[in-house]
Amino acid sequence: MVNEPIVRTQDLNYSYAAGTPTLQQVNLVVPKGSIYGFLGPNGAGKTTTLRLLLGLLKNQQGSLEIFGQKFPGQRLDILSRIGSLIEQPSLYGHLTATENLEIYRRIYQVDQSRIATVLQLVGLQDTGRKKARQFSLGMKQRLSIAIALLHQPELLILDEPTNGLDPNGIIETRELIKKLNREHNTTVLVSSHILNEVERMATHVGIIHKGKMLFQGTLPELQQMKTKQAALEIETADNARAASLLVSQYAVQETETQLVLPYQSKEETAAINRLLVQAGIDVYAIHARQNDLEQLFIDITSNN
Amino acid sequence: MNFLNTVRIDLMKMRRSAAVWLSILGAGVIPLIFFLMYIAKPAKFYIESQQMGWLAHITRSWQSFASFLLPMFVILICSLILQIEYKNNTWKQVFASPVSVSQVFFSKLVTIVLMTLLLMLMFNIFDILAAIVPNLFYPKYGFLNHAIDWGALLKLNTKTFISLLGIISLQYWLSLRFRNFIVPIGIGLGLLIICMVALNWEHSDKLPYAFPLLTLMHSFEGKPSGSSFFFNHELNSIAYFLVFTLLAFLDLRFRKERG
Repeated sequence: MVNEPIVRTQDLNYSYAAGTPTLQQVNLVVPKGSIYGFLGPNGAGKTTTLRLLLGLLKNQQGSLEIFGQKFPGQRLDILSRIGSLIEQPSLYGHLTATENLEIYRRIYQVDQSRIATVLQLVGLQDTGRKKARQFSLGMKQRLSIAIALLHQPELLILDEPTNGLDPNGIIETRELIKKLNREHNTTVLVSSHILNEVERMATHVGIIHKGKMLFQGTLPELQQMKTKQAALEIETADNARAASLLVSQYAVQETETQLVLPYQSKEETAAINRLLVQAGIDVYAIHARQNDLEQLFIDITSNN
Repeated sequence: MNFLNTVRIDLMKMRRSAAVWLSILGAGVIPLIFFLMYIAKPAKFYIESQQMGWLAHITRSWQSFASFLLPMFVILICSLILQIEYKNNTWKQVFASPVSVSQVFFSKLVTIVLMTLLLMLMFNIFDILAAIVPNLFYPKYGFLNHAIDWGALLKLNTKTFISLLGIISLQYWLSLRFRNFIVPIGIGLGLLIICMVALNWEHSDKLPYAFPLLTLMHSFEGKPSGSSFFFNHELNSIAYFLVFTLLAFLDLRFRKERG
């Protein structure tokens, strides 16, 4: 089954301090083989959710299932199949890249050759005796990704993996995630606060805001919402009169310089134009504004 | 994963770390002072070394070391070892890897014990060298004419180590509990000073930070430890160790947020 969920949470609630919930009824479903973009502004509860998934926070309410197994009982088995990168890189600064990887190689008990493989994969094969603390933030981030990949996990949990990377690094990381997903069928749960980022690699998207899931579905489903929210902008010689003319049939919003209507179709646009012209109102401009995801993201998160 | 492997991983993290340097270099401080003394004023120590051999040297150097520096170094070692995870933000990676909480906990404890043993071993080596090397330059020293009482030295080391167990467990708990390393070090040094001031109190055998010095005093006074190998305070040290280790473990095990 392609769509069998790898991660499923039910009514996850969490609060750090009583009375101020950080997560409310979070139902996360990450299908097997997907790249799940977990999207939300800073402080929305992304990291808290991911930390709960990894057992770094003790679950307070709701249930949590990974690989079909409940968390508390099967913790070690579940963790051995997950690779993770949570928030800022966690590396031993006094050790080299190879020594850092060696630690995790022994923990996950994988073959020695994997170290060279993952170093190559993230482009850190030439760092030699350089200590991790001397690395740039981008290099640290890449080494952290290498650690997460070391044991070829079935599920990769990456919390803002492109933070601190330069544009090239961002593209490389994105390509790497896609490649792992394509070639090794790794399920990736990747959080981000940049919609554009998620849009370019995710197959599924979950949007969280103020601890609540606002949207969850496939990328096409998200894009459908986008057309639903597209708008028609009209600029006329007399906006007030035009608005009164249209208000009976359309949900018109009047701004300082123009009227905004929900966009429906080309034909509808022509009909509106005709209506205005026949009423003797000069139409200066009429065009459909494709609501980009960025706008949609802002819309979704500011409506609540 | 087996426990030995976890310990080996923890020891790998110690490579080039401050805790290792402290265990090695810290052990050399007192012997270095004695070495310089023996080199600078040989005539002053000739007769003593000829008559008493090693006893005079070992008594003096151990007094300087075990009373304050040794417990202080143990306090620092505990903090430094746990700071490796705190400073590097690696606790979360440790707890997100498939290693049980008890393995993480006891492996770190074993690492601390091993570092303490390294510190004591290095001290013994340096301490003996601090007497032998001057003797090579000044043949009038009597160290080379006397055999070291290895049995007594081993006994002193063993009992001193046991007297440190109470401190180790409490400092481990504090260092595990507080991300800020000033807290365990501050509390540790404070308690160490308080316990030393209260050394002559009748209940001083219940003050963990006074135990190493008590072992030293009792050993050199030749105070009989009754029928057993251990002095009272050494048994107390073992008891403290068991209690604090259990509390520290439960504290970590039931912590709401790890890493």
